[in-house]
Amino acid sequence: MKLMNYKACVCNLCGTGCGQFLKTDGRKVFGVAPLIAHPVSKGKLCIRGWHANELLSTNERITTPLIRENGQLREASYEEAIALVVERMRQFDGAAGEIGILASARSSNEDSFALGRLAREVFGTTVRGIGAEAGHRKSMASLEHAFGYPGAHGSLTSIDKADYILVIGTDITRQNPVIGGNIHAAQRRGARVVTLSSSRTQIAKLSTKHFQQKPGTKGLLVNALAKALLAIRTANRERRANVDQMPGHTEYVASLRSISSVALERASGIRYEEIEEEAKFLEQAKSIVFLFSSGISGLDRPTIDAITNLALLTDRMDHEHSAVIPVAGISNLQGGFDMGVSGEPGNSVFKALAEPDSPIRALFVIDHDDGIIRDKERISKLDFVAYSCAYRNAFMDLAHVVFPLPAYNETDGTYTAADKRVQITRKNVDNPHGVLPGWALFQRLAVASGKAWGYQDAAGVFADIAAKVPGYADLSHELLGKGFGQHWNPKAFPNSRQRKFNAINIEYWESPTTPEFPFALMIGKAQHYWHQNNLMRKTIVPRREYDQTLWLYPQGYIEISPEDAANLKVRDKWLVNVCSSTGTCMKIAVKISPDVQNGTAYIPYFIKNMISDFLIPYENAYAAGEESVIPIKIQEA
Amino acid sequence: MSMYIVSSHEIKQLAEALRASYDVYGPQVDPQTQQVFFDQLGDVEALNLEAPIPSMPVKEILFPQMERVLQYKYDAEAQSVEMSKPYAERPKVLFGLRPCDLSGILVLDRFFLGQEFVDDVYLTHRRQCLLISNTCLNPFPQCFCVCTHSGPDADEGFDLDLTKLKDGYLVRVGSEKGQAIADERNWKPAQPHHLSEHKAVVDRCIDLFPEMATDNKAWVSRVMNRITTGFIKSETWEYIGDQCFECGACSFVCPTCSCFNVEDSRMCDGECERLRTHDSCSFEGYARMAGDHNPRQPVEDRRNKRFFCKLSYPQSKKYLRPGCVGCGRCQWVCPGDIGLPNVVQYIRREITE
Repeated sequence: MKLMNYKACVCNLCGTGCGQFLKTDGRKVFGVAPLIAHPVSKGKLCIRGWHANELLSTNERITTPLIRENGQLREASYEEAIALVVERMRQFDGAAGEIGILASARSSNEDSFALGRLAREVFGTTVRGIGAEAGHRKSMASLEHAFGYPGAHGSLTSIDKADYILVIGTDITRQNPVIGGNIHAAQRRGARVVTLSSSRTQIAKLSTKHFQQKPGTKGLLVNALAKALLAIRTANRERRANVDQMPGHTEYVASLRSISSVALERASGIRYEEIEEEAKFLEQAKSIVFLFSSGISGLDRPTIDAITNLALLTDRMDHEHSAVIPVAGISNLQGGFDMGVSGEPGNSVFKALAEPDSPIRALFVIDHDDGIIRDKERISKLDFVAYSCAYRNAFMDLAHVVFPLPAYNETDGTYTAADKRVQITRKNVDNPHGVLPGWALFQRLAVASGKAWGYQDAAGVFADIAAKVPGYADLSHELLGKGFGQHWNPKAFPNSRQRKFNAINIEYWESPTTPEFPFALMIGKAQHYWHQNNLMRKTIVPRREYDQTLWLYPQGYIEISPEDAANLKVRDKWLVNVCSSTGTCMKIAVKISPDVQNGTAYIPYFIKNMISDFLIPYENAYAAGEESVIPIKIQEA
Repeated sequence: MSMYIVSSHEIKQLAEALRASYDVYGPQVDPQTQQVFFDQLGDVEALNLEAPIPSMPVKEILFPQMERVLQYKYDAEAQSVEMSKPYAERPKVLFGLRPCDLSGILVLDRFFLGQEFVDDVYLTHRRQCLLISNTCLNPFPQCFCVCTHSGPDADEGFDLDLTKLKDGYLVRVGSEKGQAIADERNWKPAQPHHLSEHKAVVDRCIDLFPEMATDNKAWVSRVMNRITTGFIKSETWEYIGDQCFECGACSFVCPTCSCFNVEDSRMCDGECERLRTHDSCSFEGYARMAGDHNPRQPVEDRRNKRFFCKLSYPQSKKYLRPGCVGCGRCQWVCPGDIGLPNVVQYIRREITE
């Protein structure tokens, strides 16, 4: 007998894909309960998951299609809005790159797949992208080269069984707290947990070993670990024929041999002897899990290549509890890539928007985070912008037509978590305004343009996905509804058994800091700050928590070490001027943190000026994500 | 106190009969996930008195995670305000409460009803509430009610109390309301040997508790003494604080946590609604004061507040029992490893080192 008030679903707030019950009467959501039997979350949720009911109860919903008239958005019927979009889009030449698609990493697979069809078959365009794809694209490219398919190797559940867990860079207890909790549990049961990060994050404190390296040298350290591992094998006269025969091995080993321990120590601040000690543990481990953050704050390609190479070199990747997982910050980032709505080099919508002479004239956008409207000016000058989202946000101001979408629990949909686990959320609440699910909306647009797709429901869309998307062939809504999802099958990729080393270059990263600009500024994270807070701002308790930080530091904050603060003669909450070497400046409060190294400084993403004034003008820093370092000076204000 | 011996069939009959005039809530197992919820019964057949401890505390029914407690509309021109109460009184039966959850309700009663101010929302939900408790025959993983004087059987607060024995359920009456229900039914009075069987069942259950729980029994009171007198080292609190992920889960699943937050939100048509939501002392914004002073900003200072509340003498005086009822749910949901029994262990380690 089904429960009256509790409905199982999948949390839609990050790439972990935790099991969640919503307490609902079918009209409103009153509460949340964790799902104990879920293999990944095992009855745990983070502050976001526990407050999903607040988000799902917000009044800030888009309830009806809207059309801009005389500068104002007015309510419209679906017929009118769809007809308008079809008519306007017809005036642009998709094939010539005049139409761009900006997909969402929160959309279900069904919505993203249908959006891909809409782009290709109706708009005739290949210019596309996903909101948070920048970092994930690098992860996908590196993994595809190494393992033969664009996706994680292994499962998040491996964390519970593995001997050795290496966490690279990510502040995982903030970004994906439930994964962080699983790592912590692994450490307590005796697994060796090693964290590589320049600041002393919570996971660093909970690890068996923390390498607090200088900024920009994570990849170098991973490569040094590989070198030390090789040295152990050479000393033991051990050969791993299968690893030695992988393409790229000779070049990889040659590069590793060139690592100089003196230069390594100078660049990273870590002694090679320490790495050699660590390599002994790595060599003894039977199963190894590598975790690194992917998405907007992801690592750069050389660092990811160093990670995938080390994974292959350990020769433990065939163990059932080994894994290499790019941990996504948004629920369906992996699914978006699988559905083919990410921008490939050469047809990226971000590039089209950034290049002043690109032909783009119209944009079709799904659920975009307002905090990161890049190229806002360009978008505001486009001839036509259509926007679809469940929640109101600033992107509506840029749109000529707005469509509502259902929230994640108001429609059937599948989501692919960071480790390729495809899970289904069934509709458990009726949308009070009867809005169309994304796939149905895109189908209506297709029909109005004279194309018939014939989808009856989300399960039908998924059947089409199973037929066309590699790896999804064995899956269906019916099957996914029975358990807690299933990983898509990498064997569908012809190269999945041909592992290859990525080419690496050993570079001793030179800090861009100078005597004049002595601090290395990096992008910091803050508790309760996710997805530019587009969603969290619509809750009650998580929003209060986020505001809490802003109340203490209304101008935002820059984290520096106690020693640097003493040298600068500043105290906590004092205002300082921060100036970068490119000449950008901002006034911001000091936050003294013992977890930060001397000579480094962190400003969290959510400080508005950090993005608009600091990161975007600073060439490539935004794209480099977690690895970006900006030389700055800090002066009294 | 009268006692009866009643068959399982009669128990189902009782639940069915009560459905005529009450909303009946009881433990049910979700068929898909096997998770147990104490939820409203659509069908008496779903009532499962042998199901493990419900995953969420029964306080969800009396003090839900999120509730609309006021609706109002302010007319600026007429300077008038219309107000309405969106919550309503409904007679309820909580059928098959585990003794820990029953103890939790008693603590909430003392918090919401037993002090200077009586909380009208809680009172409305609580007023016509029939409590039927159910003795635990064996402990569930993480249970430690033997340490907190709240199980495996109930000794106060129930209207009717059930214990499964060989011959059927022993029904103990705990109130006039309970007696009135028993009087309406043609139940067989229990024999003295049933009472001794009840004691044997409870004793057997206590024997089945894992050593960690029974062994901790003395330590819970020792730790209470330490916490009350402030003898715990700051390093221990920091060790605990480092493991806090600030999710608030421990408070949400605690049968006795009563902290809440109130927020007014404006609907599209000018109408406003006031929401009351669960809150947690693990959150930074929880303790912030006007003027931005926060006496408990570092996570370890916030985290230890929870244990002051659960395990300190002044707090227990207020609730007339320890703030912890030993259900072990905080241990289940914590992504760190700082459920209450573990914290007792950490403090114990400190004492014995």
